[in-house]
Amino acid sequence: MPKLIKNGEIVDNTYNWLQDAEQTVTQDSIVAAQKWLSEKETIGNVAGIWLEAGDGVEFLQDVDLSQFDVIGVHFPAFTDGRGFSYARLLRERLNYQGEIRALGHFIPDQLGYLLRVGFNSFQFSEEVDLEKALDLHKPFSIAYQGDVADPRPLFLRR
Amino acid sequence: MYQYDAIDQQLVEERVAQFRDQTRRYLNQELSEQEFLPLRLQNGLYVQRYAPMLRIAIPYGMLSSAQLRKLADISCRYDRSYGHFSTRQNLQLNWPKIEDVPDILAELAEVQMHAVQTSGNCIRNTTTDQYAGVISDETVDPRPYCELIRQWSTFHPEFAFLPRKFKIAVNATESSDRAATQVHDIGLHIKKNEAGEIGFKVIVGGGLGRTPMVGVTISEFIPRVDLLTYLDAIIRVYNQQGRRDNKYKARIKILVKALGIEEFRSRVDAEWAHLKGKESTVPMSEFERLQGFFSEPNYDALENNPANLTSKLAESAGFARWFERNTFEHKKAGYRIVTLTLKKAGQAPGDATAEQMHKAANLADQFSFGELRVSHEQNLVLADVRQEELVNLWEAAKEAGFATPTLGLLTDMICCPGGDFCALANAKSIPIAAQIQETFNDLDYLYDLGNIDLNISGCMNACGHHHVGNIGILGVDKKGEEFYQISIGGASGHDASIGKILGPSFAQEEISSVIQKLMDVYVANRTEEERFIDTYRRVGITPFKEAAYAKAN
Repeated sequence: MPKLIKNGEIVDNTYNWLQDAEQTVTQDSIVAAQKWLSEKETIGNVAGIWLEAGDGVEFLQDVDLSQFDVIGVHFPAFTDGRGFSYARLLRERLNYQGEIRALGHFIPDQLGYLLRVGFNSFQFSEEVDLEKALDLHKPFSIAYQGDVADPRPLFLRR
Repeated sequence: MYQYDAIDQQLVEERVAQFRDQTRRYLNQELSEQEFLPLRLQNGLYVQRYAPMLRIAIPYGMLSSAQLRKLADISCRYDRSYGHFSTRQNLQLNWPKIEDVPDILAELAEVQMHAVQTSGNCIRNTTTDQYAGVISDETVDPRPYCELIRQWSTFHPEFAFLPRKFKIAVNATESSDRAATQVHDIGLHIKKNEAGEIGFKVIVGGGLGRTPMVGVTISEFIPRVDLLTYLDAIIRVYNQQGRRDNKYKARIKILVKALGIEEFRSRVDAEWAHLKGKESTVPMSEFERLQGFFSEPNYDALENNPANLTSKLAESAGFARWFERNTFEHKKAGYRIVTLTLKKAGQAPGDATAEQMHKAANLADQFSFGELRVSHEQNLVLADVRQEELVNLWEAAKEAGFATPTLGLLTDMICCPGGDFCALANAKSIPIAAQIQETFNDLDYLYDLGNIDLNISGCMNACGHHHVGNIGILGVDKKGEEFYQISIGGASGHDASIGKILGPSFAQEEISSVIQKLMDVYVANRTEEERFIDTYRRVGITPFKEAAYAKAN
């Protein structure tokens, strides 16, 4: 299985991102959130769920997210920035503490922004050289706004 | 003006280093064209019709003489020794080489400048009144608030990949709105409430382009401490709910229109409920810190109307004309605001040569505390000129080609670069500007016509803001030939309105004569003191339409 970047390191991917609703669900699966929600009584334990762009996060507000090891956020195109808000809302509004994994079409040059909104793992498309991507795995050394790691804007830190 | 501290400087330098690496990887084909595109756009780098174009930010229009000299110098060494000032307080270089851009950015960083977020689907350079801080009737100086917004929006981690570009403009005067706030994604009007507290009327969903709209008020008063959390709430709603299936329907104006302002407001309020009062609430200490950068220069205690000014006004009609049109009342006695016009016949509106930039920088040092402003109408402003120096400044401005005394008149037009430069354009716009400048060259006649905004765009993206010109000219392509559609009745101030199209488009050579016919209708119908726009609003489009198409009938 392809590797991924997680917490700043290249590691083995132990979860299986189920993009196709027909695939067999196991406890290593990352299942589409809408599917999980409608079938959760029967679906059994899963590693986590994933959000499609357009899903929003409101429909998860009454779900106990601590049962998931991972929540994936899918980028249909790297220019589709909805996932940036989703990750931030998962962290700041829904208080999700586990792994938030970027899935799909995003690029290494976005890592700085993705880290700041709360992603900590990155499952790139296969042609991406993870060693090279790791070089870009850092935001700028300073930021004006608050973010998920430190909600204080610079004017509270200057 | 705002001075970078070590942190601001470090951020700009880190961005230069990042872009240098991105450019290197692009040129090495490690980054695809498609991947490099949004990265370079967020650094103001377009690939245009003939060459790249680099758009350099001039935050809220403030420029020191040292910065302007650097821009001149860069234009000489990396470009063709001129630049173009755009309607959104930027300077565009039309002929840089992609491989030189990292070096250009590094040089800009030396004078606290950059090209961050001057393009792309992110929050763009915030604009404001070019007379901010010196105009007598402003509520407060908007520039510290613009700087606050600049910092908040720079590398905002959540909003770098919005559905479309996002433009914010700030205004702080009741008498006029020189920043065209009502046709921005968010327009902010600074005001004071009954308790004397400073806050913002917030207008959302204005914009031009394919579907021009005047914005609607989403809040009458947001206290200034809440500004950033409220902006976060609006843009978070837009980021998640704005359309991404069709780029022509992706601006926030479409979302606001589709939901209706009531529903849009309730979604923003629901979002804001989670953010209000949290860490991004701005403390007084930050307002004070920012205001400290925009303190008044060392004005002298002077009287209005010094003897050398009044005598020159009496003896020189040329000077009197320039004084009347191109200078503006200052809040301090003995001072005057001066606009250096970039609308000389034979030069594209908004263009300045490197030599002119050097001359303008020298004038700023000599006459205006070493600072300049860039205006929405594509001119330069010296904001703090002693009235007793106006005669000297006029002589120097004439020599440099800055004294065309037509500010606000028909020939002080806004004009995009058009088909001469821009890959998007359907038609050229600069030759239209030139044709009108050549035809309407009688100053007495122009003065008699009075204030008229004429705006020219080479395509429906409306960089020349043709929709909000009292007269708008839009280049259109018909089977490979360039034609021009004319609209009238647009306005961009507090009375903002979208112009109405007169009828079928005209050939290039007809434009001046059509404008002449419109002027004839105006002159024949106006009451005393009535501006063109007022007459239009009173009599309607019909007489203008009839006159414009009379020949065809």
